[in-house]
Parts: sequence; structure tokens; C-alpha cells
Amino acid sequence: MKGAEKIDIDRRYCKGCMLCKYICPCDVYELGQERSDLDYLMPRVARIENCKACGLCELHCPDMALTVIGKEKGKEKA
Amino acid sequence: MNPIGEKYLRKAFLPFIFCPGCGDGMIVQALARAVEELGVRDDLALTAGIGCSAWIAVYTHADVLKVLHGRAIPAAIGLKATKPSRKIVTVTGDGDCLAIGGNHLLHACRRNIDITVVMVNNQIYAMTGGQVAPSTPFTGKTQTTPYGNVEKKLDGCRVAIACGATFVSRWSTAHPKQLIKTLKKAISHKGFSYVEVISQCPVQTGRYLLGSGSPQFNLQWIKDHCVKQEDPAKWAEVEAQGNIPIGDFVQLEQPEFMEEVAKMNQRVKEAQAKGGDR
Repeated sequence: MKGAEKIDIDRRYCKGCMLCKYICPCDVYELGQERSDLDYLMPRVARIENCKACGLCELHCPDMALTVIGKEKGKEKA
Repeated sequence: MNPIGEKYLRKAFLPFIFCPGCGDGMIVQALARAVEELGVRDDLALTAGIGCSAWIAVYTHADVLKVLHGRAIPAAIGLKATKPSRKIVTVTGDGDCLAIGGNHLLHACRRNIDITVVMVNNQIYAMTGGQVAPSTPFTGKTQTTPYGNVEKKLDGCRVAIACGATFVSRWSTAHPKQLIKTLKKAISHKGFSYVEVISQCPVQTGRYLLGSGSPQFNLQWIKDHCVKQEDPAKWAEVEAQGNIPIGDFVQLEQPEFMEEVAKMNQRVKEAQAKGGDR
């Protein structure tokens, strides 16, 4: 079964629009308490075990700050 | 930053100038992925006019020509004419393409020159503060039409089809996978390709036209109001319900401008070698 090893949110670029949380069909994200370098509240990866590495959040990130790293030997899923 | 971004963006200009939740960043990504999958990065050249959408071209690490307002298509034609092996992508906004540079769109469509125009439609003049644009829907409230827009909107896809563009399609930022597929087809299509992308602008379109400045609300609005209808004859029923028809509308094979120019040159040379003048 597909899954994500890690979801990386780049704190240099994240603007906290929360489209990743909105678009995720598996309810992986939640609003975090941490602020990014641009002073926006960042999403937090709360339930990574739900992730199917579909890549929707990556495609919908307007700041290209998100990377979903798939489970198979660190190979990145598109 | 995701690996596509590492490869295709100008890092010195980051972070993006776009507002939080703007659709333009998603189009940068879709364009970069389409170029990555086609493997045409070395031949890629982008032109852009003025507007938020022009930044899409500026952030992409390729040859970029940023020109006067509305004149992105003539610049693209010039680039194509000087070196026909280039893959030209013009990124314009709705004001840039339909209002200020409207005439250039008509004649580029008619000429069927092999360029790709990506028109980012956010239904408003967003960069200058939310004035009414030719793409603003009827009765839409903006900064300059506080009692509702009294003009009908101009549909870029209808214009392109009527003027003879050989590849016309419309997708939205809520359909990124289809958009990437269409961009790939458009870039490899021989002839004029017109791809319209309905994009969200939470700050101007969202707050004044739709009633909420939240990026999630705006993306959901696009999802709800974009209906797949690939037959232009049936658009009227979709539009009667206040929805926007999307899909790949037209794909034709017709003589391309630069090939015709090359053929003409060949013909004239042969005629001159025989002693005639034409």
C-alpha cells in the first residue's frame, strides 16, 4: 500500500492559506501553532498514517512549499 | 520547496509575491510540471505582459521577455519568427489578453502561429485594486461597479474559436492534473493554442465579487461552478445556470504560419532560379 514517509512544509515559503488542509481527502493536516518565516500560521502534519501520497496537496500548494516523500526507499511521489 | 520548484524557479526572487491562496502559484507549478514531463526546458521561452499573472513567467527559470501591457502576444510572435524551433508560452491575464491586448489575440488566432497562450482568468483587474474587467460576469459587484456590472462578459474561448485558433481549452486551478495534461498537449500542438485557466483571487474576486476572502471558499466556488462540457453548442445551457463550461474544446490540424512562410520562401527561390520573379 502507498503511503508517505514524510511531508515536508518549507517554512521559508508557506503563507498559511490552508488549501492543503482543505483539499486533503484523508484529513492529514490541521492548523498548527507554529509561524512560518513570513509570519503566517502554518499547517501541521497531524495524521501522516492516513496519507496515501496522492499528491493533491503538492499540486494545490500555491507557494510550492509542500513535498510529499513517498514510502518506497525515499523515492518522491509526484 | 518541492523538487520541481528547486529545478524550475528563480530562487533569488522567492518567496512568491502572490497573496496567500492565489491561484497563480498553482499555475507556475502546472506549467513547470508540463515542461518537465515534455522535456522541452532548453527550447522554452516565455513572454508576459503586465499583471499578477505576468509574474508566473518571471518566476520560471527560462528565457523570459516581459513587455508592455497587452503586448505579450506580438513579442511571442517575434520570438517564434526569429527561431521557429523555440517553444513559446505566453502567460497573460484576462485584462492583458482580452482588453488591452485584445486585438493581438484575434490576429494571432487568425495567423495560426505555433505559440501557446495561457490566459489566467480571475474575472477582475486584480493587481490594480479590483476594477471591472471584460471577463467580469453580468451583475458582478466590483470596486468600479458597486451596483452591479451592466455589461455582459467577454468569453475568451468563444473569441479564440471564432478567430480560428486550432487548440482551445479551458480548465481551472481546481483541476491541476487535467491542466497539466492540457498544457502538455498545447505546448506540443502545431499551431496556435489558447488555454484559459479559471483562477482564484481571494483578495479581489473573492471579497468583492463572490463574498468571501477565504482561499478555501474561492477554490470551492471554482469547483462548484466549473462544469465539463466539451461541445461549444451546448455551452448555453451550462451558462444559463451561472456555471462555466470547461474542457478541451477544439483541436484541429491546419497549416502553421512559420511553415507556410518557409514554403513561400522556397517557392520564390525556385521561381527566381528559373528566371521569373514569382
